[in-house]
Amino acid sequence: MRRVITLGILIIINFILQSTVFGFHNISGITPNLMLILTMSFGLMRGRKEGLLVGFFCGFLADCMFSTVLGPYMFVYMIIGYMNGFFHKNYMIEDALLPLIIIVLDEFIFNITIYIIFFFLNNRLNFGDYLGNIILPETLSTALLTIIIYKLYVVINKWLKNKAKGKESI
Amino acid sequence: MRFERRKDVNPKYLLLTLTIICILFLLMSYFAANQVAAIKNFTSKVMTPLQQGVNQIGLWTDSKLENLNTIEELTAQNEALQAQIDEYQADITMYQNQLSELENLQNLYNLDEIYPDLNKTAANVFAKDSSSWFSVFYIDKGSKDGMFVGANVMCGDGLAGIIIECYDDYSKVRAVIDDSSKISAKIMPSNALCTVEGNLNMYQNGYLTVTNIDKDAKVSIGDKVVTSNISDRYHSGLLIGYVSEISYDSNNLTKTAYVTLTVDFSNLECVLVITDTKKTISDN
Repeated sequence: MRRVITLGILIIINFILQSTVFGFHNISGITPNLMLILTMSFGLMRGRKEGLLVGFFCGFLADCMFSTVLGPYMFVYMIIGYMNGFFHKNYMIEDALLPLIIIVLDEFIFNITIYIIFFFLNNRLNFGDYLGNIILPETLSTALLTIIIYKLYVVINKWLKNKAKGKESI
Repeated sequence: MRFERRKDVNPKYLLLTLTIICILFLLMSYFAANQVAAIKNFTSKVMTPLQQGVNQIGLWTDSKLENLNTIEELTAQNEALQAQIDEYQADITMYQNQLSELENLQNLYNLDEIYPDLNKTAANVFAKDSSSWFSVFYIDKGSKDGMFVGANVMCGDGLAGIIIECYDDYSKVRAVIDDSSKISAKIMPSNALCTVEGNLNMYQNGYLTVTNIDKDAKVSIGDKVVTSNISDRYHSGLLIGYVSEISYDSNNLTKTAYVTLTVDFSNLECVLVITDTKKTISDN
């Protein structure tokens, strides 16, 4: 239960920060994808199921606020969370390189999906420009933030784990 | 507790169920739009107050930081501005003379109906789209304050966007720079009709594209681009920007131009919403 509540609060905090403080009043600027970091972290630290659920609810919020139809973001976040869960068996607490590699891959998958759905099918074929102007800067900013935020999530995860263990021993 | 009970559920089946839910939601958005709008309305009822609160905090710290950084700059600017004011005061008297002359001439031609005074309300921007791909932002006034879908949004004297979704307490605005935005416009001294298209790629270079200009139209760099009177969604005469580059299309029938915007989208805080609807044929 503690885990569900903590995750719920984390999802809401990330969603709000992403839509307000980051990208602060810069309507056309690059925003780091905080919800993707959250999905990636918990998928990696806890396995497929939790990545899947966290991604699902992140996507649900994103869809409710930013999309005209419900569904697309939900699906993309969910799949990414699920895929990241496969790396759970390689997960080590001290390892900082693996999450970095995964978040970069995730960012590419996420942005290329959006490019294909909303831009490629809309006859905007110069992929190179979009890659240089949007995908790469966003990937870079998200990766830089991952280094800091991932550590925080590891601590939170550890705390949740210890609490759960304590309960079991009682 | 729920997590523990689900421990024996295979993630594969969970993936399958949630995928089906996604697809159901997608289908629902097309076939049962009202129910989906209700879901959206419910979640945003919870989220928007939080967003607005966080935005307030952000604005406050931002203004405080700016205060510290810019005191020196401001004193220097102040002196320069004082000098400018004197200059402008002279200009104003000149313009006032010209304005009265214009009014006289307009009365003469009964033209004052062309530029009616539009009713406007101010609104604050409190959130933007979370991805880097779309130029959509949110304002803190909704249908309760007289907003409606299709209301034009201005920033300063330039056109900023149009309301595309309207809820009780907030509305969603698509900026003119969004990739899916298309505006029927005209280029001012020559009255050449054209279409202003938002293009994410061009905006990165600082322009919007203007297409479908007649090849013979006299367009020169620096001309004003304003919304046209034939548009059924935008009021006529709202300033969009200034022409900065012109080239001929390969079909040799039309020209394409680049336009520099008057609105600065990198720092949008307060906008004006026009609360008048444009009269269209169907209204009469």
